Amino acid sequence: MKKPGKAIAMISGGLDSTLALAMIRAQGVEVKAINFYTGFCITETQRRKGGRQDGTVPQNEALRAAAEQEVEIEYIDISGDAYLDMLLHPKYGYGANANPCVDCRIFMMRKAKEVMEREGADFVFTGEVLGQRPKSQRRDTLWAIERESGLKGRLVRPLSAKLLPPSIPEQEGILDRSKLGDLNGRGRTRQIAMARELGLAEWPQPAGGCCFLTDESFARKFFDILVQREAAGEPRRIDRDDVVLMTTGRHFRLSPTVKLMVGRTEVENGTLETYAGDRRARLVARVHAGPVALVEGVPTWEERQLAARIVARYGKGKDEPLVEVEWRDPDGAVEVLEVEPERDEARVEQLRI
Amino acid sequence: MPPPDALPEPVQILDTSGLLCPIPIVKTAAAVKRLADGDVLLVIATDPGIAVDMPMWCKAMRHEHLATFKDGPSWKSYLRKRPRAPRHAP
Ligand code: SF4
Repeated sequence: MKKPGKAIAMISGGLDSTLALAMIRAQGVEVKAINFYTGFCITETQRRKGGRQDGTVPQNEALRAAAEQEVEIEYIDISGDAYLDMLLHPKYGYGANANPCVDCRIFMMRKAKEVMEREGADFVFTGEVLGQRPKSQRRDTLWAIERESGLKGRLVRPLSAKLLPPSIPEQEGILDRSKLGDLNGRGRTRQIAMARELGLAEWPQPAGGCCFLTDESFARKFFDILVQREAAGEPRRIDRDDVVLMTTGRHFRLSPTVKLMVGRTEVENGTLETYAGDRRARLVARVHAGPVALVEGVPTWEERQLAARIVARYGKGKDEPLVEVEWRDPDGAVEVLEVEPERDEARVEQLRI
Repeated sequence: MPPPDALPEPVQILDTSGLLCPIPIVKTAAAVKRLADGDVLLVIATDPGIAVDMPMWCKAMRHEHLATFKDGPSWKSYLRKRPRAPRHAP
């Protein structure tokens, strides 16, 4: 005789977590879904900027999946200092880019455990599939995540459960092990067949992740900032403003301690204005319309000239002999630089981060 | 979606202007928790994501989504809280 139970689902809205959700609900378990907001979500950032390049506005897939199955969902905002701290000192290291996936999962699972306890639930489950990701879904890693999150025995991976040791809810009769999955590896054919069987209408294509930390060009900017802070003798740290700026504009490294960020669109110009803060100089062309730009660090005279020339190059006056660029220091002091727009494309490209 | 002619008077107005997605939904969830069943909440937001998120969130949470529409520079979203009976899968 199966006992009724309650579970917390960590869902992303992708095929795997949608399937896991349907599987657990099919066993008569009451489910509450949670979705984490890390501050590095590509979808949310795209939406903020007014949609994708093709004009469509991406939807939040976790919310869509919860709505489709009418499952209660709670967003959990973890985008604070503790998360950023983990990001700088990941015990299990980084993946291919700036993604500390194992530590990030542990961080999330600890929060999930708090929700489980608060809700009086019996277990937490995810859409993880054994062996699907080279590092974060290996058998020993899945185990490390379970152990370090404090969820020992109460973290279920329904899609691969038959290949893993029986969990507490299976032992207690809340879950019927024979109805759980035995998926292994990267293939998706079986998932798609299962989705059809469970009558699931929609799931997003594997989009190559939705997290900036796994993005190569983002990772370059991320590690570049850390190197810059070190070169400037500052503490190794990243704050929330840095995170927003890293996804905004073109970035150029003018020297080990000086960086230039140039807006590409109206929205980005606005973002740069908002996030200038008290450490960054703000540049804008005076007569000819052009982008807003920020400079971080203490530039030399030559670097100021170069920054102004690059800003001029991206404005309407790029073909003029001389362009006036207004330079406003963080303390409010204003200087106008009259410069020739940079015409050496190769040089500009070389500086790009 | 255009604003319907008659919208009920909200019991509470939650202004999330300036907050970015998905924080307006996080705040909405917290506000709804404090309301009584049947109460109407008006959420004001500047992030256009609300137009997509609010109807979906209401469906997931089984609250009644009354309307979401653009009003000048911001978005307005009306919902009515529904009691939540414990549910199991069919
Ligand atoms: S992809 Fe991003 S959000 Fe997902 S586990 Fe890795 S670091 Fe965390």
